[in-house]
Amino acid sequence: MVVVVTAPFHAPAPEWSHVYRDVLPMHLLETILLLGGTVLLTVVIGVLSAWLVAAYSFPLRGAMRWMLVLPLALPTYISAYTYASLFGATGTISLWVHDLSGFRPDIVGLPGLIVVMALVLFPYVYLPARAVFASGLREQLEAARMLGARGSRRFLRVAVPLARPAIVGGAVLVAMETLNDYGAVKYYGIRTLTTAVFRSWTGLSDLGSALRVAILLLLLVVLLLWWERRSRIHRQQATDAVPMVRQRLTGKRAALATIWCLLVLVSGFLLPAGKLLLDAFTIDRTDTWAIDLIALRNTLGIATGAAFLTLLIALFLVFILRHERKSWTHGLVRAATLGYAVPGAVIAVGVMTAAGTIDRQAGLSFTLIGTIGLLLYAFTVRFLAVAVQPLQGSLTRQHSNVDDAARMLGASPGRIFLRVNLPQLRPAILAAAMLVAIDVVKELPLTLILRPFNFNTLSTRVFEMARIEQLREAAAPALLIVLCVLPPLLFLDRQLARSEG
Amino acid sequence: MRPLLLLLPFLSACGTPGAAPTDDTPAKEVNVYSHRHYDTDAQLFKAFTAATGIRVNLVMADDDEVLTRMEQEGANSPCDLLITSDAGRLGQARMRGLLQPIRSAELERNIPPFLRDPDGHWFGLTMRARVFVYNKNKVRPEQLTDYNDLVRPEWKGRVLVRSAENLYNQSLLAAMVAHFGTETALAWATGITVNMARTPKGSDTDQLLAVAEGIGDVAIANSYYVGKLMSSSEPEKAKARENLAVAFPHMGPYGTHVNVSGAGVAKSAKHLAEAIALLEFLVGEEAQRLFAEGNKEYPVRPGVAVADVLQRFGELTPDTLDLAQLGLNNATAVKLFDKAGWR
Repeated sequence: MVVVVTAPFHAPAPEWSHVYRDVLPMHLLETILLLGGTVLLTVVIGVLSAWLVAAYSFPLRGAMRWMLVLPLALPTYISAYTYASLFGATGTISLWVHDLSGFRPDIVGLPGLIVVMALVLFPYVYLPARAVFASGLREQLEAARMLGARGSRRFLRVAVPLARPAIVGGAVLVAMETLNDYGAVKYYGIRTLTTAVFRSWTGLSDLGSALRVAILLLLLVVLLLWWERRSRIHRQQATDAVPMVRQRLTGKRAALATIWCLLVLVSGFLLPAGKLLLDAFTIDRTDTWAIDLIALRNTLGIATGAAFLTLLIALFLVFILRHERKSWTHGLVRAATLGYAVPGAVIAVGVMTAAGTIDRQAGLSFTLIGTIGLLLYAFTVRFLAVAVQPLQGSLTRQHSNVDDAARMLGASPGRIFLRVNLPQLRPAILAAAMLVAIDVVKELPLTLILRPFNFNTLSTRVFEMARIEQLREAAAPALLIVLCVLPPLLFLDRQLARSEG
Repeated sequence: MRPLLLLLPFLSACGTPGAAPTDDTPAKEVNVYSHRHYDTDAQLFKAFTAATGIRVNLVMADDDEVLTRMEQEGANSPCDLLITSDAGRLGQARMRGLLQPIRSAELERNIPPFLRDPDGHWFGLTMRARVFVYNKNKVRPEQLTDYNDLVRPEWKGRVLVRSAENLYNQSLLAAMVAHFGTETALAWATGITVNMARTPKGSDTDQLLAVAEGIGDVAIANSYYVGKLMSSSEPEKAKARENLAVAFPHMGPYGTHVNVSGAGVAKSAKHLAEAIALLEFLVGEEAQRLFAEGNKEYPVRPGVAVADVLQRFGELTPDTLDLAQLGLNNATAVKLFDKAGWR
């Protein structure tokens, strides 16, 4: 991160005036449209689904409750490619509709991409919103009911405002994922800050300007994080952990609730995953399954390693946050978590520059670049935020009185953290590790650039096929990615569900 | 950066699997950084190992990232041979001091001079041409003899092409800048933008499918994607190609624009002899035939047959522009695209 942030001040940026005048305005505009649209739509889908599942009983509710997290198993770019192959101008379904009606649907464009991204990313909002709705609001909602508020009014006027911090937290993750995407936006022909980074770097051969654009991207994220913090302050936290009593829906309303959830599930997961499944088993493949299995093993290996390393560092950071009261350290910790919103390739450049410098300073006889160790370190830089968030959330719920008591008994901060804080953090640690592992399995650019010789992962396999426009051959490794991500994802869901009661 | 320092011992313990860190190890191997992701390449490396006993270790990633990686690795870089799919990037690698000059009668005999660096820093392995693909039912081939034809008003709303983000669009415009200067190149980019059938999106293959579907009447696309579509067994693609034909436009008095996929020996190469052996193997007849048949690329070696699916649309007469010009004019081309509004 330090390299990325400081580089623009000493790196020359010969094409900056062009980038500033002819590239940035349109790219910034489309970034904001994409960001706004995606965040808005994820919030609508996520919050509405969470409310239905948490507040009502209707047919299939039990299955829908956990199945609605499934879209998170699909990497955004894979879902985007798959949607294009179905609903693009020459996609399978579009051709069929065109033959029947003469109308030609084309999802490839800005509005289409907003929908596709929202359908994959909405669980980031759905999960925390569901948790708050299910267990945190019973008293307030009862009060509203007694005052005569109807269901929709209770939802909009009571539940949503009270769940706002949770919703905004999820929305910020959605925003960061949207900002760092390169594959999907490029294919859909959208100009974003991330494509501007690449245009400056690869097109204009001007790394200096590219890094300046990356800084702008970071500023946007800082703005988002500031918005998230503001939404937490002055808000009454919903605290009573009493499970909500669900209201039974009947007749038309029950049917509508079921149809809504099914629609979200089908379009967010079943349709793209089904298409992958179909392609994986209809395409002529020779011995590539063997390569995919080795890639699977590598993927699991780096996911485990990265989760372990990231958790160690994240724990160290939350320890500092807990026991160090100086505000600059808090700022530093927050800066360390910005990596999540930065395009992977930019982080890769930063990490390579740092490693190259160390190589030269230390006079090593080999290079750190291309070692598994450096790759894992790069994952840590990128996904630290994913680990720190749940840890910090859980830690702030622990009362500091206990810390104080331990301190009065003469325990050092380190000992307090290990003996008092850490045991209570266990569920959060597990959750954070799962989240990091999921992200690493789906990650592409860092792995691609920093990997050792002869080292394939599932996502590099998908990329290699997609790159040469053989999307169907990419289906098998893509499907394996989904399968890898499902167990930790479902584990997370169950853990949350248990806390919901 | 403190966490990084803490990790140092851990990192060094990991080592570099596959890459021999010191040159006193006698193992016969060659370390390749490649931008090419094709099945044919995997087959070729396997054949090379079978023929010579030299093991090929591979990292596949995008050109610019690979160059940055080599730069940061410096003298310690394990890379012996750099393979890219753009002459411009090879030129850049040379300018950034990442390659070393190689003299090889074998390579010089089998690669025409305009497809390699005059000092031997890099060598073209295959050519890909930027061609027109048109709808047979709506377009006569005489209408499509020059890149400039497509800026005429009769093509308004009929031209399909992908985003300016695409490297091959950039090198096409870079070639125009090299031949005719920025003003003419800008006029062309603007003219095409005006005539586009839709805003640029999707891949080259998507443009071809769109021509077949009548969304536009002519597409600008890379020859090997055309070749692959023309020989695909997927039913939609087989159906699409019934309406399609290929034209090889000239660039004014010059031939059809080509770029190369090529390779250069890294300055840091620890396995110099093996790297040269691999290079020579890749321009050998067997390898060149596989590039042509398996991947539908144009072989650089004279006398090796072009794939039938491409050959039946006519002969490729490549523009013999010094390919280093593509790299030198790439940034200018990107700026012109931005000026023209070609997204």
